[in-house]
Amino acid sequence: MAHSMINTRLLLRFLRTFILWSPGALVALLWLFPLYWMLITSVKPDRLILTGIDLIPTEVTWDHYRTVVADTPVGRWFTNSIVTSVSVVAGSLVLGSLTGFALARMHFPGRTAIFWLLISSLMIPPEMGIVPLFIGVLRLDIQDSYLSLIVPPLASVFPVYLYRQFFLSFPRELEDAAAMDGCSRFGTFLRVALPLAKPATLAGAILIFTGNWNSFLWPLLVAFKSEWKTLPVGMAVYTRLDIQGTATQSGYGEAMAAVAIVALPTLIFFLVLQRYFIEGVTQVGIKG
Amino acid sequence: MPDGWLAYLSRIRYRGRRIEWQAYLFILPFLLIFFVITLLPIFFAIYISFNEWGIVGDPVWVGFDNFRDIFQDDWIPKIWGNTFQMAALIVPGTVIVALLMALWINQEQWLSGPIRTAFFAPHVVAITVTAIIWIWIFEKETGLLNVALYGIGIPKQGWLTTSQWVIQSISFVTIWQAVGFHMVILLAGLKEIPAELGEAAVIDGATSWQTFWRITLPLLTPALGLVITLEIISAFRIFGQVYLMTGGGPAGHSATIVSYIYNEGFVRFRLGFAAALSLLLFFTILFFTLLRTRLVREQSH
Repeated sequence: MAHSMINTRLLLRFLRTFILWSPGALVALLWLFPLYWMLITSVKPDRLILTGIDLIPTEVTWDHYRTVVADTPVGRWFTNSIVTSVSVVAGSLVLGSLTGFALARMHFPGRTAIFWLLISSLMIPPEMGIVPLFIGVLRLDIQDSYLSLIVPPLASVFPVYLYRQFFLSFPRELEDAAAMDGCSRFGTFLRVALPLAKPATLAGAILIFTGNWNSFLWPLLVAFKSEWKTLPVGMAVYTRLDIQGTATQSGYGEAMAAVAIVALPTLIFFLVLQRYFIEGVTQVGIKG
Repeated sequence: MPDGWLAYLSRIRYRGRRIEWQAYLFILPFLLIFFVITLLPIFFAIYISFNEWGIVGDPVWVGFDNFRDIFQDDWIPKIWGNTFQMAALIVPGTVIVALLMALWINQEQWLSGPIRTAFFAPHVVAITVTAIIWIWIFEKETGLLNVALYGIGIPKQGWLTTSQWVIQSISFVTIWQAVGFHMVILLAGLKEIPAELGEAAVIDGATSWQTFWRITLPLLTPALGLVITLEIISAFRIFGQVYLMTGGGPAGHSATIVSYIYNEGFVRFRLGFAAALSLLLFFTILFFTLLRTRLVREQSH
């Protein structure tokens, strides 16, 4: 008797949760569906792609990936994307932490003015600088080079802001203690502040990496030759692929494999390091 | 006497405290890059907009000709109209979906984590990925959407190929990609609201609807304001979706400000004209973000 009552109560609670949560869960599944569809289509044999909506592939093939690798300089594009994104991350973190530290913890005339200058520059759409920067790149003859891909993103205010907010939250005593141990300001920054700012560094690294990996307009402009394209710019050729298809043949498998190659690094990165993504966005959001 | 000079410098005070001169060395590298990449180009863009500037040959000073051309250009009203229509769908669409999902997830249940992940995932993939997946979903004959709709008796539509649907389709894709990011910001805002406030209101007999309008929403205003501003800025800067999915077509029905800047500046190499357009983009965004600030401020009074 008592046993069945508990069961009924459990069942009711389960039902309540289910009814409360199923619409949200359904919407979430729908939201995720296009990405899932991309992944499974990329491994389906051609003849199964247009035959219906089967959610779990019955046959798995890597043919589409092989075709993409054979048809495009994907290795070169991948290298370009990696080198660019990693360099921008490294450079931004160095520049951002130094500047953020000074703006948060050091005493000098112009500190507030400089901070507001940086913040108000966020109001200006980056597209405004694109024509002059493009002219500059042509005049210096540095189109089709890592220089033109890496340097402009380094001017982003985001890492500066992120570090400043983080360093502001440190207690005063921290530096006093460091000063007593005979640390210079740079020593305090390097040996005390920076190690403590690891969450900001991680969040910054992840968001900057993703942002640059996905960056589109600027790399599109400065890569004249195919070998200097980044992955997202290079794989754009698949929009022009004839994906109308016929009943048995289509370019969908290939196109989905191509974009899966672009998407997988950041998607995996996100799934593994989710917490830091969310923290990074939250940190910027709350204080902004 | 460098020693004496340094000692003198280190004694200078500013607002009662010694100036830490090293700070300038800390900020110098970034400020140099910021100056060259961000500040200088802004002024240079203004200068370029008064020139006829091609990819070869010398620029020619033409005064306000580029701006006159903008106002006489047949495409401009169409393009600004397209962009406004997209912004009018994307900004409220994104903010409302993000707000609903944030309120939903904030109840802190076992599914919160996975749902948040599902919504944020589209935000971390490149625009090329989004565009190519959705080109297929929207494709007329074999696209998933039409196949599904056809199954329930709705005739197939050219989602990206007819003027009737193209703006809605591109806006929808944009919302799909942006919602997760804004949802996370709003969630952070919701977490800042003390739970006791809501509980107190419930004890006082407020319905959950009243609690939402009287407590949650007003306290969420700063986060909402940020989300709306960010979304206004990005909606007016739409480019990748249009460039990849429709190329501005059919017949310019989905061309946006930035896709026009791209075409005029970097395909036709009318750099002066493109710079003038970018100035206009700046003022358009400035106008709407200021309007937003004013509206929200009035509401909170």
